[in-house]
Amino acid sequence: MATESGGRHRVVTATAAIGVLLLAAPLAVTDEYHLHVLIATLYFAYMASAWNIVCGYTGQLSLGHSALSGIGGYVSTLLLINAGLSPWIGMVAGGVCATAVGVLVGWPCFRLRGPYFALTTIAFAEILRIWTENTEEVFGIELRGAQGLSIPLKGHAPALFQFDGKVPYYCIILAMVAALMAIAWWMERSRMGFYLKAIRADQDAAEALGVHSTRYLLSAMAVSSFLTALGGSFYAQYYRYINPERNMGLDFSIELALMGIVGGQGTVVGPILGAFLLTPAGEITRATLGGKFPGLHLAIYGLVLILAMLFLPKGLIQPLRGLLDRRPTVSGAAAKSTQA
Amino acid sequence: MDAVILGVAVVNGIVLGGLYGAIAIGLSLIFGVMRVINFAHGSFLMIGLFVPYWLWQLFKVNPYVSVLIAAPALFMLGYAVQAVLIAPLYRRERAMVLEPVSVLMLTAGVGLIMDNLTFMAFGPDFRGITLDFASKAFRFGDYLNINYTRLLAFQVSLGLTALLSLFLARTDLGRAIRSTAQNRDAAALCGINVMRIYNVTFGMGCAVLGVVGCLMIPFYPVSPSIGLAFGIRSFITVVLGGIGSIPGCILGGLVLGVVESVAAQFVTATSASIFSFVIFILVLFFRPTGLLGMKV
Repeated sequence: MATESGGRHRVVTATAAIGVLLLAAPLAVTDEYHLHVLIATLYFAYMASAWNIVCGYTGQLSLGHSALSGIGGYVSTLLLINAGLSPWIGMVAGGVCATAVGVLVGWPCFRLRGPYFALTTIAFAEILRIWTENTEEVFGIELRGAQGLSIPLKGHAPALFQFDGKVPYYCIILAMVAALMAIAWWMERSRMGFYLKAIRADQDAAEALGVHSTRYLLSAMAVSSFLTALGGSFYAQYYRYINPERNMGLDFSIELALMGIVGGQGTVVGPILGAFLLTPAGEITRATLGGKFPGLHLAIYGLVLILAMLFLPKGLIQPLRGLLDRRPTVSGAAAKSTQA
Repeated sequence: MDAVILGVAVVNGIVLGGLYGAIAIGLSLIFGVMRVINFAHGSFLMIGLFVPYWLWQLFKVNPYVSVLIAAPALFMLGYAVQAVLIAPLYRRERAMVLEPVSVLMLTAGVGLIMDNLTFMAFGPDFRGITLDFASKAFRFGDYLNINYTRLLAFQVSLGLTALLSLFLARTDLGRAIRSTAQNRDAAALCGINVMRIYNVTFGMGCAVLGVVGCLMIPFYPVSPSIGLAFGIRSFITVVLGGIGSIPGCILGGLVLGVVESVAAQFVTATSASIFSFVIFILVLFFRPTGLLGMKV
């Protein structure tokens, strides 16, 4: 424990420094493609962090989070197309829908543990995906099945979440990542964070000590669902197109879990680290070698995942903390002594 | 709905279900013995389909003869994956109790690599082979006809399951595998090399897929992307039948095959799998031990 808290201060400092750099990035990065890679990276950082809120802190592996992102994207887009409602409001509506679904599905699922939980979340997400893929319209609302939905173009319309150029999108997703980190940081230090960690360590023991585990698991699920859905709406607005396979598919869920686990689940910075390592690597392989070797980036993801499970089961954050901890600061040493 | 058409759908479902059962055996065996969910299960099947496909394309080897190559090849692949990648996780844990989720993600990584390497090598196309034999069908009345290839696959699947049950019940190795499944530590105390049993079990679970691949390729075209769908279908089969139970696998497979086949009469074939997932969830919630499973 001592090393963890000692390194944490430096991790916070490093993160803050990187945050400032990222804030200034649009000034330096003028190339559209590079900016796109940055946005994609931040988007995955955001989604992996949202996944981490429930899965990282509680240790329950959800492979159904793509469904929540799909709900967010579809609700905000359908409200925009059919009711002309701004996605700024639509994304909150999507978040509320996803929270309802997440809690309703999570309630029976959390009785299952380990692989059973993971398989059930897959089943729920797949039901939603297959249903959406095979439904052209429901109650007179066009879903367009596997074709997916396109966002109607309105030009430069900030009120409708549409902008010229990529910089505004970059700023939005950066703000979303920052907000999510703040939420995770606050949650980690709250009573709930400690309860969740207790549940992760040993659910039966936590319950024996009076932790109402279902309540806290469901609270974490609600927060995670809402945030994941917001990310789904952002995706829809940025790419201006969503379809069930990409936005609700199992591959996407696995990608999120992969980034969280490779970076370090159950930590604030871990999933972001994972996204920053994997997304640019994936994008660059796809752009440079994708024509010759399609699928190479996914094979690389698989390899990284295997290596992480074998050598860094707690994620990349672990050696990084150790590295930052080698030169203890005054505050680090103070933290250590209080910990000890 | 016409009773005859429904009857035909049920028969087709049973024939398909026997095969689903055989596909799931490996998953069930591996989970029963090692408490590990092999997320790459479907990808092993995909390899098991590609082996006879290429043997046929390159050397004109009859797929039913290819079993002799595909089954040992898949055994070695499975053995290697367990010995090289999964075994270190066991060695790291002192009590040899694995966090099942971390193995699940590890095998998910293995699956990602296998899927995408085959995708890079062979492209996304569906590839099948045509045997003269494949066009012939067993006819019964005016409506029912079952291709010989499918019928053979069904029969061999059942035979394979019986053989495997017999092997587990009667042979020394089978007894060693069952005792390891029951109590790892007690088995080790009796002089069983637990890690070797794990390697062999994983290899056997994959070898079954080599056999099934050879049976399927005459009527089921293969593409690198089919793995996940079959993997998920196998999870459903195993949970339905009861994890670790070999006869349960066949029963689960039959239920799944009939449900898919009958549901496809009412909704589109792609939506039909929704019903399988619903059954899967209901079983997990209300009878997590499955139809034939023991208490875990």
